[in-house]
Amino acid sequence: MPILEVTGLVKSYVKGDISISAVDNVSFLVDKGEIVSIVGRSGSGKSTLLNLIGGLDTASEGQIVYDGKRISDWNRTELATHRRFHVGMIFQSFNMIFTRNALDNVVLALVFGGCPKNQRKARAKDLLTSVGLSERIYHKPDELSGGEIQRVAIARALANEPEIILADEPTGNLDSITANEIMDLLVRLNKEQGKTILLVTHDQGTAEKISDRMIYLLDGKIIKDQKINRRSEDQ
Amino acid sequence: MKISDMIELGFANLWRTKLRTTLTTLGVVIGIGALTSMISFGTGMERNITEAFRNNDLFNSLTVTARKIDLERIAEGDVSSLTGRMDQAVVTLNDSILALVNEVEGVDIAFPELTFRAKLKVLDKEMEVTAAGIPKSLADYPPFNDITYGSFFDNDSSAVVVARWETLKGMKIVVANADEPVEFKFHENDQEFVVVPPDSLIGKPIQIITAVMDYSKLALNPMQMLSGDRSVPFKEKTTTFILGGVIKKKSQFENQSVKGSLFVPYKTANKVPRLGFTNIWDVIGGNSKDDGYSAIYVRLEDPSYMDSVVKILKDEMGLNVFALSDQLKEVRRGFLILDGILGAIGTIALVVAGLGIVNTMIMSILERTREIGIMKAIGGSENQIKWIFFVEAGSIGFVGAIFGLILGWIVTRVANQIANSQFMPAGEPPVDFFYFPIWLILGSIAFSIVLSLLAGLYPAIRAASIDPVKALRHD
Repeated sequence: MPILEVTGLVKSYVKGDISISAVDNVSFLVDKGEIVSIVGRSGSGKSTLLNLIGGLDTASEGQIVYDGKRISDWNRTELATHRRFHVGMIFQSFNMIFTRNALDNVVLALVFGGCPKNQRKARAKDLLTSVGLSERIYHKPDELSGGEIQRVAIARALANEPEIILADEPTGNLDSITANEIMDLLVRLNKEQGKTILLVTHDQGTAEKISDRMIYLLDGKIIKDQKINRRSEDQ
Repeated sequence: MKISDMIELGFANLWRTKLRTTLTTLGVVIGIGALTSMISFGTGMERNITEAFRNNDLFNSLTVTARKIDLERIAEGDVSSLTGRMDQAVVTLNDSILALVNEVEGVDIAFPELTFRAKLKVLDKEMEVTAAGIPKSLADYPPFNDITYGSFFDNDSSAVVVARWETLKGMKIVVANADEPVEFKFHENDQEFVVVPPDSLIGKPIQIITAVMDYSKLALNPMQMLSGDRSVPFKEKTTTFILGGVIKKKSQFENQSVKGSLFVPYKTANKVPRLGFTNIWDVIGGNSKDDGYSAIYVRLEDPSYMDSVVKILKDEMGLNVFALSDQLKEVRRGFLILDGILGAIGTIALVVAGLGIVNTMIMSILERTREIGIMKAIGGSENQIKWIFFVEAGSIGFVGAIFGLILGWIVTRVANQIANSQFMPAGEPPVDFFYFPIWLILGSIAFSIVLSLLAGLYPAIRAASIDPVKALRHD
């Protein structure tokens, strides 16, 4: 059963007299529990597509149906609720609040999610422990390594128990060993918690190893949508 | 997200930029300090005067006159209301009118205003005073309920009189117990005064000297005045009374609610030999004592009766009524204007502080653009973000108001100290020129919060409407 249905999605920007389509008539389905990688060169529209699905941006045309709801018709307040409870986003640049420590960054997501005050810290600690950061919860981002920061970001993305994780180049700023650790963590989340993962990356090799499907994007268009028999390889 | 979360987040954010927040808040502190100290001066003066009115019973007393005394017209030079025009019907204030006034609901006591000029002689010192005849029933009312030395007379026909403390001081006699400190104003020469213990005055005889017509002189030589003889057809008559008591010293803002320096029992006063007219109104109007009283003094059971009693006396009985409480309304209006001007000056300071808040908040948004993007990415709605900034601005206003009130209070305490030591005569009890009523305290806090919320309105809306995609790319 698809958790996400994208149909005829277009995102165009008008610059002067020219209209540029960053995402151009894109359609695809994502099933619950799938790991889908969107690969392509820089500027191919991968991140824009992820932002549209995450409700950070609004489409020019087409529709996005998430869990049976047409979120492409939603207003900004409804989209905020979508981001809060249904998707967890991870970014290449981490997007941590650098003035707050790891715990407080996770707590902030719980505050927006309406988690009762007396449960927030315990829940944030649990989340950080689950990503392997139990020892560093009171450290600020600038006292953590890139891999550790990305773990905090993953813990934060999981705070309000979303069904889907949208990861935009999560390993782009990390060395290969750390990158593998992060990818392993995402796979673990998929296996143990059944999270659907939509991964944007330009690292085709890593993507092929962990994904169920690969969507190739070029100039905003899907040029290939390929199923990979990843799970059988694992077994 | 609850209000408590927003306040916590707001304070945490403000605390990150301590210096800037402190400086912005300082602007509000100064604004509120200026506003409250200015207005507290206006309210302080108003309170002092209102309390003086109340202490003197002016809210429940009024004077009935037969003729309309139009003070405004007199001030403009028109004295026709004093001289009485023929076309104006005049009700004579006689005993039957007095009895009627006494019957009006709400009137506690009405008595004729009976004043005459006399020379007072105490301890061989003499002074011209206004003596007033009053009933003994006034013993319960100010100022007669506060006799510092001795006591009030208990009989309307007795020969016991009471004097104001100031009257005796005017005669260079300072009444004081041996253990009481005696201080003189800086312009007074203490050598001129005699300090007398109350025992040596109270219960002792004093003399009142009044002028009476010397008929023998008139009869003997009627042409004498015309021929340039300066001797007048008057002679002095001395009546001896007992000084029963001395009325309490007046405080700074007190007014005299009852005319007179020396108070004589009302029936006794009627018998004091004197010229036919009792006061200036009689002279101008040609009224003699026999035609009626010049005025009736009315005390009410309660100030709430004022309007109804005035209405009955004016409309139904055709009397002219003069109530000092009407004057207080004018005074109050004056203070309202004063408060307005003082408040406007303070508000200017506060508006400048408000602009400081706008500036700080916009700076803060520019610095935190990416943070706003992150908050949106993890589920912060526009309303939540708006509220976070709103609460930050409001917190500056609230904290600024609290410290501003403290600043205003300190400033007014210092100013009060200086004013009392510099401008008040020595020996006078200190006066509080400033007053912080609860409405001023709560009002200035509310005003500060509202102003800072207004200042935060634009920045908050701007912060909430930031495009998260762009904000996340922001450095």
